[in-house]
Amino acid sequence: MGIRTILWEKWREFIRDFSRITMAALIAPLMYLIVFGWGIRSSMNGQPYLYFLIPGVVSLTTMNGSFNAIAQNLNVQRLYEKAFDQVIISPTPLWQFIAGQILAGALRGLYAGGLILLLVLPIGTGLVFNGLSILILFLNGAVFSALGIVVSFLARNHADVPRFSNYFIMPMAYLCNTFFSTEQIPRGVREFIAALPLSQTSRMVRAISTGEPANLWGILVLLAYLGALTAVGLYFVYKKKNL
Amino acid sequence: MIELKNLKKTFEGFTAVDGVSLQIETGEFFGLLGPNGAGKTTTIGMLSTLLLPTSGEIYINGELLSRKRQDLKRKVSVITQEYSMRQDMDMDEIMEYQGRLYFMPVKEIRARTEELFAFAGLTAHRRKTVRKLSGGMKRKLMVCRALLTEPEILLLDEPTAGMDAISRRQMWNLLRQLNEQGLTILLTTHYIEEAQALCGRVALMNEGKLGEVDSPAHLIEDLGPYAVDEMLADGIHSQYFHRRQEAIAHLSGLSGQCTLRDTTLEDVFVERVGKSLT
Repeated sequence: MGIRTILWEKWREFIRDFSRITMAALIAPLMYLIVFGWGIRSSMNGQPYLYFLIPGVVSLTTMNGSFNAIAQNLNVQRLYEKAFDQVIISPTPLWQFIAGQILAGALRGLYAGGLILLLVLPIGTGLVFNGLSILILFLNGAVFSALGIVVSFLARNHADVPRFSNYFIMPMAYLCNTFFSTEQIPRGVREFIAALPLSQTSRMVRAISTGEPANLWGILVLLAYLGALTAVGLYFVYKKKNL
Repeated sequence: MIELKNLKKTFEGFTAVDGVSLQIETGEFFGLLGPNGAGKTTTIGMLSTLLLPTSGEIYINGELLSRKRQDLKRKVSVITQEYSMRQDMDMDEIMEYQGRLYFMPVKEIRARTEELFAFAGLTAHRRKTVRKLSGGMKRKLMVCRALLTEPEILLLDEPTAGMDAISRRQMWNLLRQLNEQGLTILLTTHYIEEAQALCGRVALMNEGKLGEVDSPAHLIEDLGPYAVDEMLADGIHSQYFHRRQEAIAHLSGLSGQCTLRDTTLEDVFVERVGKSLT
């Protein structure tokens, strides 16, 4: 019931800001595709580089879409509007609030990723995006929504969320199996980067899209991230003395 | 009944609320008075579970309050000092969101919203987003939102701050009516006359500690119901008397500009709290 309330709230927000949300979701990935896919024409493993790029860009778009849908919004509600106070005060179980935010964020990420897929559809790449890809992208969005919740609770002012984005989300967007394979990264750093959720997502989605056998252990990795971040979010709402 | 037991709250070494114990009976209109930084808002914060106490407990009808107690939280509505609303939502959305957070059926939310908006004179503005509302309208909306869920306990933290005199009187009348209908109200306010007009009992709070707790009439009686103000070079000096004749006798012995008047709760506040600050 509480989850439905949060989904309703996020739906209203989506309707209200539809054009802004859609444009924001499109602009960066579109630039990546134009610059790296069409502008700097190259190939990878005998295939046009664009084929390598699309699964990575779709993955990073779900990451950005989900993180941005939750982190900045919740941060504003908590620190500036104080609207989050009403949630804490209300009888809605706080775990349902967290679950609703994660679910809504994951759906927003899927929407953003779906837009990119629609955009590249006329190119006719032959890349496959099936139910499993969607599940993985949804999980990726859920992980980054949960991260958004944690970051928004850790933030002490309005600049903290963009700062976190700059230091963590943006490097992940470039390094995590999106624009090039993590195999090209030196050992030591490679293992660390490959273990990050976006690397796992890009790897699995790319494998599925090209019809290669996909190692689906990454789903467990994503679930582990989701579990850990959700636990931290729950700790904040139930145990933190001054929210 | 609300019961605070040895409630304490510290923020990084600073003690905002220091061992407050208090009982507020069901149906009571109770006022918490104190200067800025006295710990009133922190106390309300703990009652609403926004803040968790460093130590001590809060009981509602004998049951321990916590963030997990949905049943207890359902009984309580809070009007916070700040406009705690999403700026991008319109009034209807604010009400619907609140109702949904309290598990009210949507039909009931809409019907009750109609009534409350009509009562508060907000119907014509219902499509405006919060960011386009005046301060007074935001306050009214917060009151409507708090009443939407038909609470048993209403916590009000400076509810009339920013309201004009007429709106404030309207609010007083509304709060009186609600209290007469059995709603338990805890109010913090800077307007002492507000507490005097509304509250059955008040508590004076200062530096996190609770001072006297009594009815405004008793507190005034205790200080002396007659006040003589004397204008001196360094400001007004007031003296309080239990008998009118004593006050008149004192007045006749003064040479400068002076007046005799009834003592108010504000005098009690200034005497009890103000003097401890200077």
